Amino acid sequence: MTDRTIAVDYLARVEGEGALRVRIHDRTVEEVELRIFEPPRFFEAFLRGRSYLESPDITARICGICPVAYQMSACHALEHGLGLRVTPAVRALRRMLYCGEWIESHALHVYLLHVPDFLGYPDAIRMAKDHPILVQRGLRLKKAGNAIMTALGGREIHPVNVRVGGFYRCPSREELEPLRPVLEEALGIAEETVRFAAGLPFPAVEEDYEFVALRHPEEYPMNEGEVVSSRGLRIPATRFEEEFREFQVPHSNALHSMRRDGGSYLVGPMARYALNRDRLLPRADAVAREVGLEPVVRNPFRSVLVRSVEIVQACEEALRLLDGYRPPERPFEVAAGPFDVPGCAAATEAPRGLLYHRYQLDATGLIEEAKIVAPTSQNQKRIEDDLREVVTRSLELDDAHLTDACERAIRNHDPCISCATHFLTLDLARD
Amino acid sequence: MPEPESPRAPPPTERTLVVGIGNEHRGDDAAGLLVVRRVRPLLGGVGRVVEATGAGTELIDLWEGRELVVAVDAVRSGGAPGSVVRREVGPHPLPTPLSATSSHGFSLGQAVALGQALDRLPGTLILYGIEAAQFDPGSPPSAAVAAAIEPVAQQVASEVRRYLGLHGPTFPEVLADA
Repeated sequence: MTDRTIAVDYLARVEGEGALRVRIHDRTVEEVELRIFEPPRFFEAFLRGRSYLESPDITARICGICPVAYQMSACHALEHGLGLRVTPAVRALRRMLYCGEWIESHALHVYLLHVPDFLGYPDAIRMAKDHPILVQRGLRLKKAGNAIMTALGGREIHPVNVRVGGFYRCPSREELEPLRPVLEEALGIAEETVRFAAGLPFPAVEEDYEFVALRHPEEYPMNEGEVVSSRGLRIPATRFEEEFREFQVPHSNALHSMRRDGGSYLVGPMARYALNRDRLLPRADAVAREVGLEPVVRNPFRSVLVRSVEIVQACEEALRLLDGYRPPERPFEVAAGPFDVPGCAAATEAPRGLLYHRYQLDATGLIEEAKIVAPTSQNQKRIEDDLREVVTRSLELDDAHLTDACERAIRNHDPCISCATHFLTLDLARD
Repeated sequence: MPEPESPRAPPPTERTLVVGIGNEHRGDDAAGLLVVRRVRPLLGGVGRVVEATGAGTELIDLWEGRELVVAVDAVRSGGAPGSVVRREVGPHPLPTPLSATSSHGFSLGQAVALGQALDRLPGTLILYGIEAAQFDPGSPPSAAVAAAIEPVAQQVASEVRRYLGLHGPTFPEVLADA
């Protein structure tokens, strides 16, 4: 009888915040525990008693990498309940801002995290020494995303220009025009990225995912759409909590999400693509066809290809929106009340997947209750399922290689660790 | 006398950068952010002062092309809480782990290593690390770390001033330029 424990501490290298524990007993995987601390719980409490107008700015601070997603879900949820309709120009600007975040987030993941796995490097730094052009390409794409966020968000990190009802200020056409050459170059790099990613060596794995994403009648989803699943679900976002439940797991203070029937599900690029393949713009569609990307990708390692196609989509969409942009007459609409209304709920598509917000306001517009369901909490149970299968398939590996296989399985889904600390671990010799 | 600025040299306000790294909702991890919030008024508009709360990769874009960058971060190095480490980054990697399982986990140490690998470091890069005691979600910084903020901010501000005074326009000239 043998017992093995595999541990991956990836959250922040803080003692006691081990994120993954796998227990194997007699060649049977007995336990897989993924633990990701969830800041939304903390922010839900923090929001109580604050004005609804503060929500986009406060929730943007939940995550240093995806602030736009939190702003968008907050704005849409509140506008939906308060009956605010934004102008088409504001809608276009928001979508463009979201494109910036998608480009930045996906470029980081593809080039600095995922590609090293396929090329046999332990990290992007060692890959950069042999393949500097690859890493430079990733940083170039990321910079293009940043350029959009700077132009529309006010600041690169934590955009401050977005508000409930619109933007505090909308840029002129002239102000946005410098984005054009940046995005045109990024679009070309993104297409090259898809071609490059298609040639990576992929393990032959297929998982039986229930994909969940937004679906819009005309567009590849970002800000709007119904919540749909690959198993036939189709509901407005306001009914999200009827179909998806959060539950407390004993090994974590975080809540995990599951379908009403108890099953796990997957949100994020693979889900969006599987449910919206027919909504890709022409160049994204063309390059996906060129490399033979299957309409539904069930191999989590191939998510690198799907992310790459989504970078093309985001660059192409941002350019399309830039072409049609005319500044609105009014940058924002103001809610007249009443505020203590039901239905302040919405979902948008963060780079990592569906992000749901719901608010209950009092009669003066102060937040009584906030509910935030982030993509990673929805994917945790599904990532645990992936890990269980990875370990079961790989029991012959020694501990170091098995740990590496587990880390790769987690990286496939790039969990949002918005709670992450950013401190530096230094191994200093002290006298 | 300082060397005259070449036409391609960055404006004086862009020559130096002070960047604080951290998460203000994780106890002592806020140290770097708190220091730069104090450095900002001390420098009164000299050079750029930035709070970085996202991925470490943003640092590479921020510091590229600058003459002097001072990065302030919380550290774990086994020292007493609140103690301060100052390191000038040379050609060798920092003694820090380099792997990550999420793109959100890209650290200052990784950014330095990537900058070294791609030859994208600033002219001089100085790290100030404040030894952290705890990273409890939602908690304020510990007393030892809070006590270190002001002295580190003073030291960082004078480091920037001294640099500009020695190698560029004097402090009042820079102020006038800004």
